[in-house]
Amino acid sequence: MSHSTTPVRALSLLAAVGLMTLTGCGASASSGTGGDGGPVPGGTLVYLEHQAHDSLYPPSAGFYPNGGLVNNVTDRLVYQDPETLEFEPWIATEWEVNDDATEYTFTLRDDVTFSDGSPLDAEVVAKNFDLYGQGDQDRALIVSEAINNYGGSEVLDETTVRFHFDAPSPGFLQATSTINSGLLSEDTLDLSLEGFGPGNSTEVIGTGPFTITEEEIGTSLTLTAREDYAWAPPSRENQGRAHLDEVQVSVTPEDSVRVGSLIAGQAHFVRYVQAQDERQVEEAGFTVHAPQTNGVNNSLSLRLGNEILSELPVRQALVAGIDRQEVVDTIYTDHYPLATSTLSTTARGYADQSEHLEYDPERAEELLDEAGWELGSDGVREKDGTPLTLVVNEAAPQPRSFEALTLISQQLAGIGVDLRILAADAGTYAEAINDPDQVQIYHSMVGRADHDVIKSQYHSQNRNTLLNRDPGDDSVQDEELEELLEEVASAAEPEDRDEASAAVQAHLSEQAYVIPLFEEPQVYGTAPSVHGVAFESVARPSFHEVWLDE
Amino acid sequence: MSYVLRRVGQAVVVLLAAFTAAFVLLQAMPGDAVMIRFENPELGLSPEQIAALRATYGVDVPAHQQYAHTLLGFLSGDFGHSVQSGTAVRHLIAEALPGTLQLALLGFVTALVLATAVAFLSTYPRLAWIRGLLRSLPSLFVSVPVFWLGILLIQVFSFRLGLVPVINPGPVQGLVLPVLTLAVPISAPLAQILTRSIDEVYTQPFVTVVRAKGASRHWVLWRNVAKNALLPTLTMAGVLFGELIGGAVVTETVFGRAGIGRLTEQAVSNQDVAVLQAVVLLAATVFVLVNLVVDLLYPVLDPRLRNKSGASV
Repeated sequence: MSHSTTPVRALSLLAAVGLMTLTGCGASASSGTGGDGGPVPGGTLVYLEHQAHDSLYPPSAGFYPNGGLVNNVTDRLVYQDPETLEFEPWIATEWEVNDDATEYTFTLRDDVTFSDGSPLDAEVVAKNFDLYGQGDQDRALIVSEAINNYGGSEVLDETTVRFHFDAPSPGFLQATSTINSGLLSEDTLDLSLEGFGPGNSTEVIGTGPFTITEEEIGTSLTLTAREDYAWAPPSRENQGRAHLDEVQVSVTPEDSVRVGSLIAGQAHFVRYVQAQDERQVEEAGFTVHAPQTNGVNNSLSLRLGNEILSELPVRQALVAGIDRQEVVDTIYTDHYPLATSTLSTTARGYADQSEHLEYDPERAEELLDEAGWELGSDGVREKDGTPLTLVVNEAAPQPRSFEALTLISQQLAGIGVDLRILAADAGTYAEAINDPDQVQIYHSMVGRADHDVIKSQYHSQNRNTLLNRDPGDDSVQDEELEELLEEVASAAEPEDRDEASAAVQAHLSEQAYVIPLFEEPQVYGTAPSVHGVAFESVARPSFHEVWLDE
Repeated sequence: MSYVLRRVGQAVVVLLAAFTAAFVLLQAMPGDAVMIRFENPELGLSPEQIAALRATYGVDVPAHQQYAHTLLGFLSGDFGHSVQSGTAVRHLIAEALPGTLQLALLGFVTALVLATAVAFLSTYPRLAWIRGLLRSLPSLFVSVPVFWLGILLIQVFSFRLGLVPVINPGPVQGLVLPVLTLAVPISAPLAQILTRSIDEVYTQPFVTVVRAKGASRHWVLWRNVAKNALLPTLTMAGVLFGELIGGAVVTETVFGRAGIGRLTEQAVSNQDVAVLQAVVLLAATVFVLVNLVVDLLYPVLDPRLRNKSGASV
């Protein structure tokens, strides 16, 4: 398109945009431009966040408010297509991995600069991964969960860098594409935890399409487009600067205010539209986006170390006694598909386990009867004087956790299981969830588009959600599970990793360790004037291709 | 003079007690900020990494050493760092305080105006026919939950009528609805006490004397009744000022405003000890100051008290 805009041209552009709005094709487009008119440059997008961000240190970017910023301020070595989950060049033009996945060599673009003007070279990339791969305890900067077995970096020349690993690390390529590996400038990497925190956000410098130019702690933040940005992933439509001039991020904790502001025209784009509010948004003619998080499903982990749950029939009875379909239908919407395994159908390595997850309350009662849990006078089963009472945590970050658990608790009451929901202050909660005798059932999920995600969730040295390693005495209950998980994180070939991941999923189902509920989306709402909405592989928004036709 | 010195001495004792009580209570609670922040399974840290972080934060040191360290820090103006975000507490407070002060002061003034209006109107003879309604207003105001009122005001005045934006409002626009939300529940007890005092003062013999001497109703109300009725209201106002802090927690969250209330809410949910300690001390300071002002205002309003305090000089 020529830039000499005559009045006629401007008119036809307006007409095209108007037509697109009428037909509604622009709003649902998930990438780039719509129609002949093309994106309209300029404008300020008002984006409403649910919570204030608490750090811009990339390994802490799993928290959505952090991730939404890091994703737009930084670029990554490799681009993972959020649809196909395939890898494509970005800051690295090519890469090589040795046979046992212990050595990765990246060739970098030579034209990339940070927003403070300093060039991106092999030296600074090495420094990034040295920090993310090892962390810095003295500065309380944590290791990135996505990087395993990091050995060190080696700068081969100005545009070539090699990373070494102490043991096979097949998930590293994907790790370089995640927001946890956002590339930061030399000076930024020397910041303390305080330097990455709120109040200093404008000093966090990346190579991304936006820079943070203003900040009011806990309330608002301004992202400004970089005029000279020219290194988007080659497969993306927009190769130049962002279409928008600015993104105004406003923290709006109250759900009804966020959705109301969107519909009243005070905002363009909101994060975290609750399931019960989706209809309101759609009926007003606005768009609901529900990108999937492509990892471990929203699920209940049964703690192995607890005495009651150490019996297989009890665990199987819990799986058979919960009507997951009813939970999904009653509490959530179509954007929350029923889970068919511990992993999402869109996750790397997914294997269908539905045969183990069928709802069968009669079978559940039979199993409990056979295991010696007899119905007491109060409707709760008991064995040797111990009532079948279990506690599950209310998971504040999960959508409608309390409502879902309340329904599940009613369902389980039907088979004589007393399920209680723990809602407590942060300190009590933090202690209780690490004790299998206080919280026997743990509600959580984790998103990451790599095979490693299943190891992150269940391995004793990572999230350990099954408490397979008892934090009290460090004993490991199920060694076989540990070995299966380690195989996922060390097999070099993708096919072998698929197989290893399937083995883990089969083991988790056969042992009835996990009750998966649904495949978790992140739900956003946008106004009809917003086009080019895109998300990275774990559903954080990318504003680079967004444009407004107001 | 010695009166003022004594009051300042008392203030210091109160502040130290508040600081110590807050420290002890926060220590006694299960878990701690470092645990909440880093033992969160969401971060996927191994036990060794967590142990190293605990050492970095110095939470393994005995409580009395932590107390001495924190107290010395506070005395030298160093409030420490938020465990949750790493930001200096001084920085957080400095950013949050002006917004809350503005909101609280305007909210308080609005509450006073509202309370005075309700009280005087409900004792005004010509409005006797709606007296019942006016007198039930305070009970209504006090039972309205702040968050509900806030959301209702937003729905009506911002979303339906479009009078004021909630998102990115101007400095004045942004204050209208939050101030109103905060003022309504605070005005209720003030109005109630003022109404009752006015009623009581009217029954005093001196009012009858003044009336008998030919003073008009207005004269009596403004020169005699109001002045006497203000004393109990002033006491209540001092106490209520503290409620503004509680009200700010909800108001600031509903309206998405930065401020001490929001800061407190987040610090409580993360058990962010350094931030909480500073907030408690700040709240205690405000309480002490407000009550000092109230005490100093008594003699101005009531000559009998003036003589009494004069005697101790």
